[in-house]
Amino acid sequence: MEIVVKEYKRVSVMTVTGRIDSATSSEFEEQLNSLTESGRVNIVLDLSAVEFISSAGLRVLVTTRKAVKSAGGDLILAKPSSQVVETLEIAGLDVLFEKFPNREEAVAYF
Amino acid sequence: MAGRTLTIQAFLDQIQKIRDLVSLAASDAGFKDDENYAVQLAVSEACENIILHGYGQENEAPIEVAVQTAPGEIQITLWDQAPPFNPAKGPKQPDWPPDDPPIGGLGLIIIHRVMDDIQYSREGDHNQLSMRKRSTAFRT
Repeated sequence: MEIVVKEYKRVSVMTVTGRIDSATSSEFEEQLNSLTESGRVNIVLDLSAVEFISSAGLRVLVTTRKAVKSAGGDLILAKPSSQVVETLEIAGLDVLFEKFPNREEAVAYF
Repeated sequence: MAGRTLTIQAFLDQIQKIRDLVSLAASDAGFKDDENYAVQLAVSEACENIILHGYGQENEAPIEVAVQTAPGEIQITLWDQAPPFNPAKGPKQPDWPPDDPPIGGLGLIIIHRVMDDIQYSREGDHNQLSMRKRSTAFRT
């Protein structure tokens, strides 16, 4: 799994590549926590290159979304891969996250 | 039925080997990409539960997997030596408010939503979990 974060004025865009599973989710969580703890609570997650995400990854998405929402921000998804969409749908969590077809539209949401 | 077997040690980064094996088998059985992925996801959740909740932590203990396929059908059996744990019982709270999803138990929910049949038995000092799925494309 690789994570790249790009900071904009009002938004942070985190791009994740590879697998978000029980072996990698703690690193994913740490990277998101470092954003939220520094007050960056408007987050776009570009998950277009995620080839696998398990419940361990979903747990991080759900807890981070809750944290940023309570701080007045939001966590939204840009171009989620078919695998990400399928995992969210199976778990019944797809209704929880705003999804945008590309990164530009997601950034403009904020 | 065609069969494949594999034994891994109970480390989280080893689960990918089982996912790869299941993916190959599901592909051979004629599963489409989305159903293939779903089965990989379910078996991955079962393995994670064995390591984190069964054994309690990563260690060198074994997880054995046997995968059997027929056209449109896959059966996956997992064995471990952890204390008895029955994932076939299903999640305690399968429904929840959309804004307040459960943090724990998601793995069990996924397993039960993906697989058609889940059977658990305790065989001596082993847990045996069998999961079966039939592809929708092959259902009459």
